[in-house]
Amino acid sequence: MSNRTIPAYDQTLTRVREVLGELLGDGVQSAADDQPLTEALGDRYDSLAALECVSRVEGAFGIEVDFVAHDVRYSFATLGRIAEFVQGELEDRAVLENLG
Amino acid sequence: MSALIHAQSGPGGQAQARPEDVGHQRAAGTGEPDLWCTYAAVRTLAWLGRTDEADDAEATARYLRSRRNSDGGYAWSVGMPSDAWATFYCTQALTDLGRELPEPGGTARWLSGTWTQDGTGAAYAMTPGQAPDVWATHFSTRSSVRIPGGEVPDAAGLLKWLGALQRPDGGLSWSRGSQTCDVRACHYGAAAWYALNSVAPAEPPWDTEALIRWLREQQTAEGGFRFSPEADVPCMWATYRATAALDILGGAPARPVEPWIRGLRGASGAFVRWQGYEVEDVWASFCAVGALKAVGASTDGIADAVVARIGELRCAGGGYTYREPQHAADALSTAAAVLADGTDASASRTSADPRVAWLESCQLPNEGGLMYMPARGSEIRCTLWGLTAGAFADEEARQERRRIAEWLRGLQNPDGGFGFWEGRGSELLSTAAAVGVVRRLGATVPRLLDAAALRGFVTRCLVPGDDGSAALPGTEPTLRQGLQAQRIRHALGEGSPQALTALLDRHRVRGGGWANTGARLPDLLSTYEAVATADLYELPVDTAHLSRFTDRVHSDDGGTAWSPLAPGSGGPLADALGSLLRRRAAGTLRVLPDLVLS
Repeated sequence: MSNRTIPAYDQTLTRVREVLGELLGDGVQSAADDQPLTEALGDRYDSLAALECVSRVEGAFGIEVDFVAHDVRYSFATLGRIAEFVQGELEDRAVLENLG
Repeated sequence: MSALIHAQSGPGGQAQARPEDVGHQRAAGTGEPDLWCTYAAVRTLAWLGRTDEADDAEATARYLRSRRNSDGGYAWSVGMPSDAWATFYCTQALTDLGRELPEPGGTARWLSGTWTQDGTGAAYAMTPGQAPDVWATHFSTRSSVRIPGGEVPDAAGLLKWLGALQRPDGGLSWSRGSQTCDVRACHYGAAAWYALNSVAPAEPPWDTEALIRWLREQQTAEGGFRFSPEADVPCMWATYRATAALDILGGAPARPVEPWIRGLRGASGAFVRWQGYEVEDVWASFCAVGALKAVGASTDGIADAVVARIGELRCAGGGYTYREPQHAADALSTAAAVLADGTDASASRTSADPRVAWLESCQLPNEGGLMYMPARGSEIRCTLWGLTAGAFADEEARQERRRIAEWLRGLQNPDGGFGFWEGRGSELLSTAAAVGVVRRLGATVPRLLDAAALRGFVTRCLVPGDDGSAALPGTEPTLRQGLQAQRIRHALGEGSPQALTALLDRHRVRGGGWANTGARLPDLLSTYEAVATADLYELPVDTAHLSRFTDRVHSDDGGTAWSPLAPGSGGPLADALGSLLRRRAAGTLRVLPDLVLS
């Protein structure tokens, strides 16, 4: 069995805010979980910024995003969805490690 | 990933052509603003002291600010790399609108990165790594003395470079080694000196009398000016540049020019480009106002009409285009619409399509290529897209194709490469587009171009010890640039299928498509060029891999996004490339046409 611990959703969301706040500034802290980042951050959250967010999240959580297989535009549209996406990836990875 | 895509066209304004064709609306406008037109509109309002009458100026300022890249420079469209021209237009227009420049220090640093030496002194290139030319030098010298924190790195070196532009007949040419004199080059040189003189006083570095004499000789009997002795029809664009240059140099036209300018007012009271051209557009009005000011004539009687006309050219989301937005067609979007519909240019007569006829009307008498918008200079990419969409495909169009071939031959720079249009420095994309045009004309590179010089340019773009290529010698390689180099080498008869395969493998994205850098985020343009290049080399294409990508970027409404990260349709050009790719994946199209964009 893997000893890897899956963080709680709230912990993941807090960490997502920290990671993206370093990149995108204070607007991330004041954005609601379900508020579109394009609305909360305006022009700052364009596709290039989204790409950087993906890289930051990958690095912070040790996961890998497939830009074709994953629906990145949906998953990275709000902080809540990013946290859900990360949570899902971490759970999948834990399952795979257990199988191994 | 956002896109690109308006032509990086600049004004090249050629005269008179077939005004009856250009004026007729046979291609639809996109409703999108154009940076060139936005600059002209705002500058004209500023000259007339009427910027406070610009409708929703904040929307236009937002449009201008959105061109700013993280490197501090500005681009023609979101997603394109920064260049000196766009940087000047955006910063000047924002200043004219009374807006602060965002982080001007970063813009000044970007500008200093385009400074370069070429053996005749030092000047500015359009982008970092490119050779200097007078277009870029004019824009960046003016930007550098205006933007807080900016300065010209070496005023003496710049004066020396500007001085070396003068040809034996007195006129100025585009760059080192260029043999062609043009009133635009004269104005850009004179205006660069004028800007430099404001911060580092110095005498003009030319035989000024000879330069004034050459400029005066370009005035025609009608009163307007032509670009050069090779272009014998006067137009408003040449008239503005010539009169402004004469004003800077302390000269004056040989004969009155004001009646000719005022004679080109249309029904609205604004101006047209030349006699017989029926659309009163933003560039003609910009040039007319600029020329009237240059010769000291009053603008009082025309200001209201010009301001009112400019107001009609504003786009809904901010910015301006050259005529009413619903009618402001451009060559790339029009060609894209034809290609998206599935027209196969090689298979049938297409000029019956009014859009193809409109594309054909973009060939003007003084230059053989196709322009981006009416009265701009012919541009290589537009010519490639237009030919691919079926322009001049008819057997009877031999003469027009020959004119394109002659124009292309004259465009090859001394370093062997091609730039966007006349006088612009070489880069790989335009060079690949030029080779694509050669293919479309049914010719071969050695027959039409200087193959040895072309080989030399591509070789300098190759990254040592790598299969990749960069857009400019010494810059970072990317997939698309590598593919462009491989297509050029194929045309030279020395392509390497092994090198192409290695390049494609390196940028193949596991889930589908190809990425321009690395192998993470696939994008439409890279995937398109990957498949088109593989087709050229007759390499097999994994259509299942391709379909996974096209399925992801295809939207329910039939549009195509530039990447899986981009929203909805990327516009007509993305939709055209997406349509072609889907047809290729489905097997209804055997090979992709060779197209480049950015």
